[in-house]
Amino acid sequence: MIVAIIVVAVKLLILFAVLMLFVAYGTLAERKVSGHIQDRLGPYHCGPHGLLQPLADGLKLFFKEDIVAAESDKILYYLAPMIAIVPAILAIGVIPFGESITLFGRKIDLVVTDINVALLYLLAVSSFSVYAIVFGGWSSNSKYPLLGGLRSAAQFISYELILGLSIMGVIMVVGSFSLVDIVHYQKSMWMVVYQPLAFIIYMIAATAELNRLPFDLPEAESELVGGYHTEYSSMKFAMFFLGEYANMTVTSAVAVCLFLGGWYSPVSFLSWIPGPIWFVVKLVAVFFFLLWLRWTYPRFRYDQLMVFSWKYLLPLALVNILATGGVMILFGGI
Amino acid sequence: MVGPLLKGLRVTFGHLFKPAITVKYPYEKRPVAERYRGRHVLKLDEDGREKCCACGLCEAVCPAGAITLYGAEDPEFKRSDVGKIAEVYEIDYSRCIFCGYCVDACPRGAIIMTTDYELTVPGPGRGHLYKDKNWLFEKRGGE
Repeated sequence: MIVAIIVVAVKLLILFAVLMLFVAYGTLAERKVSGHIQDRLGPYHCGPHGLLQPLADGLKLFFKEDIVAAESDKILYYLAPMIAIVPAILAIGVIPFGESITLFGRKIDLVVTDINVALLYLLAVSSFSVYAIVFGGWSSNSKYPLLGGLRSAAQFISYELILGLSIMGVIMVVGSFSLVDIVHYQKSMWMVVYQPLAFIIYMIAATAELNRLPFDLPEAESELVGGYHTEYSSMKFAMFFLGEYANMTVTSAVAVCLFLGGWYSPVSFLSWIPGPIWFVVKLVAVFFFLLWLRWTYPRFRYDQLMVFSWKYLLPLALVNILATGGVMILFGGI
Repeated sequence: MVGPLLKGLRVTFGHLFKPAITVKYPYEKRPVAERYRGRHVLKLDEDGREKCCACGLCEAVCPAGAITLYGAEDPEFKRSDVGKIAEVYEIDYSRCIFCGYCVDACPRGAIIMTTDYELTVPGPGRGHLYKDKNWLFEKRGGE
């Protein structure tokens, strides 16, 4: 019993450390990728090729003055940045990153907990992050954050639905909500081959859920100053940032599990490379894709965002579900 | 609809691997043109005497009114070969527009411009940008 608890604690610690590493170097990667896409160099001063920049950023934010907006709703104002990081940390618990290994005679699953409703849990938990943004927007008692928060609420409702529907196809094919089962199903062939449309819809909806360009309306710099975190400074601002990049990492991890074969190697002759390494490689690839998207496309207009969601993506997701169901009935499963 | 989106992704991906057009400034500097109009320098002649004879043409021609100049006599010809020097010669770099008219106006080639453009000064206020004669004579860089 005690050993089991220790094993879970160690797994959680490792996952948390890796998540924080991804967050720190995600910010650096964002700046580096944006720099190189714009023919600049990006951060270069701290360490070789700016590799210590995340440390410098963290220290700087730590020593900044912590300003609390005078007429703000104090409780929600303090609560919002804390909530921002919660969904990502809750979500890492169900993400599998490797086949079970045997260590000192014990069989250890490389997932903190393999619950049978992992995907439902993920969807439920990821909806939390809207509270951070709406609370932040409301409690700041300032017009730009409020507008950002409102936009975010509408955007989340629209795209949450599509995110859920896009995953439906995968669940129908596999017949399980467990992420471990879904990855096992993809041992011979990636899910993206069976469900290409679902993958595209998932990536679009996930980008919208993460409030990243081209869907970054809640924090549209050119119209809303900083959006929902306009009135935040110092570590509270850092928490929002932490949350954003942690959510990116988790969303990429889920995409890898659902569509890109999880920890399995894409070709059989490379299967000697351990699963977790494949998992991280794929995770980095999806993460890079999110950065790449951001520095390529301009922002949607608000009405375009809604039209795109309800008039195009929703019907497409439904068609995907119908087509999957049809094929499964006609051919007796994929 | 999808075609142009992919095209955009291809363009940005291509730019990822292009060499940066920016330079790592404090460590690496862009070459400046030979006739770049930067910081002024007051010249000395071969005997180490000031070339400036305080004729006041630079002050008169300066469109920004950045130059302040007062002449003084030098009867022993110690500091000047014509017996007249600029007692006060100040350039206010918060006003100077680096047009180079002072250099054109000077009949004795006493004031020239260098390629040095690093004129930032510390601290708040613009007092640091008020440069006196000593600073203008000062040898900085490889001159």
